[in-house]
Amino acid sequence: MLNTLIRKLSGHEPSKVTAKKRLQFALVCDKLEVNDETLNCLQNDIVEVISKYFEIDQTSLELKVKRDDDTSALVFNTPILCVRRRSRV
Amino acid sequence: MEGRIIVVTSGKGGVGKTTATASIGAALALEGKRVAVIDMDIGLRNLDVVLGLENRIVFNIVDVVNGRCNLRQAAIRDRRIENLFLVPASQSDNKDVLTTAGVDRAAKQLRKEFDYVIMDSPAGIERGFENSVTAADEAIVVCTPDVSSIRDADRVIGLLYSRSITPRLVVNRIIPEMVAKGDMLSHEDVMEVLSIDLAGLVPMDEQVVIATNTGMPLVLQNDSKAGQAFRRIARRLNGEPDLPVEVPSVKGGMWNRFTQKLGLK
Repeated sequence: MLNTLIRKLSGHEPSKVTAKKRLQFALVCDKLEVNDETLNCLQNDIVEVISKYFEIDQTSLELKVKRDDDTSALVFNTPILCVRRRSRV
Repeated sequence: MEGRIIVVTSGKGGVGKTTATASIGAALALEGKRVAVIDMDIGLRNLDVVLGLENRIVFNIVDVVNGRCNLRQAAIRDRRIENLFLVPASQSDNKDVLTTAGVDRAAKQLRKEFDYVIMDSPAGIERGFENSVTAADEAIVVCTPDVSSIRDADRVIGLLYSRSITPRLVVNRIIPEMVAKGDMLSHEDVMEVLSIDLAGLVPMDEQVVIATNTGMPLVLQNDSKAGQAFRRIARRLNGEPDLPVEVPSVKGGMWNRFTQKLGLK
C-alpha cells in the first residue's frame, strides 16, 4: 500500500498503462508487416500495369515498404526507358 | 435442427483454451443440451485428462475423420454429466493427418448428433488451427490480461474475421486486486485494444488447478468462481445473450474496498 502511495505521489504511471501503450503500438506495427510473397505478387502486378504505358528496366526495380514513426509508405522505384506510344482508338 | 459448432481458440498456448472448452461444454450439458467437446490438438491431447476421461479412450477424432470408426464409437459419454460427450484427439499422429475437407465431413455428422459441438483448437495459427475453424459457425477467443496473449488474440481475431466469423472474447485469469492497483490490464482495456465483444470474464481461481488435478469438471464445483463464470458464459451462448457480464471484483471489507477505490492497494 505504501509503495502504491509513493508511486502515486511521484507520478509514476501504473504498469498497465505502459502495457496498453506497448500493445497498441505493437498491433499497429504487426498489421503493417507484409511478407515477401505478397510483395513479389504486388511487384509483378505493378510491373504489368506500368509496362502497358512505359518501357521500364525490369532489372533495377525496387519495391519496399518505408516506415517512419507514425506513417508507412509503399515506395516503388523504376527507371523509365521510354514511353510506349499507343495509337488512340 | 442442426447443432452449432463453436471453436475455442487463442493463438497463444497456455491461456486456458482446454479448461474453457471443458467448462463451457460441461455447462451447456448441464443446461440440458446434448454437447460434444472435440480435442483438435492432435499429438498433444489434454481435454481427456482435464475432463477425467483419459482411461476410457478407445477411438479418436482421427479415426472418425478417416472412417476407421463411427462417431458413436469414438464419443466417450461422461458419467457425471448427462449429455456430455468427448471425442479425444489422437496422441500418436501429428496435425497434418487431418484435412479441412475431412473435418468438414465429420462436422456434418456431428451437427446431426449434437446441439453444440465445441472444438478445442491447438495453439498456433497453422494446420491445426485451420482444421479447428473450418466447420465453425462461431468462435470464442480466450486470452489472459497480458501483452503476449492479447497480441496473439488480435492475430487470431483477424484470421477469424477473414473467414466471416465474428468471435467473442473470454478474458481468463483476471486478478481483481492487480487490476485495482493498475498492474493488470482491465477487461475494458483488453476490449478496447482488440475491439471485440465479450463472451465473459473469468477470475483467476485455484479451483481450476484442483479440478484439473482430480479430473472433476470445474463447473460441478459450486464454490469455484471460475466455474460459475463459465456457467454464465454457457448461458450467454445458449439463448441468454443479454445475461449481464459479471466483473471479477476484489473481496474484503470496507477499508479494503475504500483503499482499492483510491488505487492505494
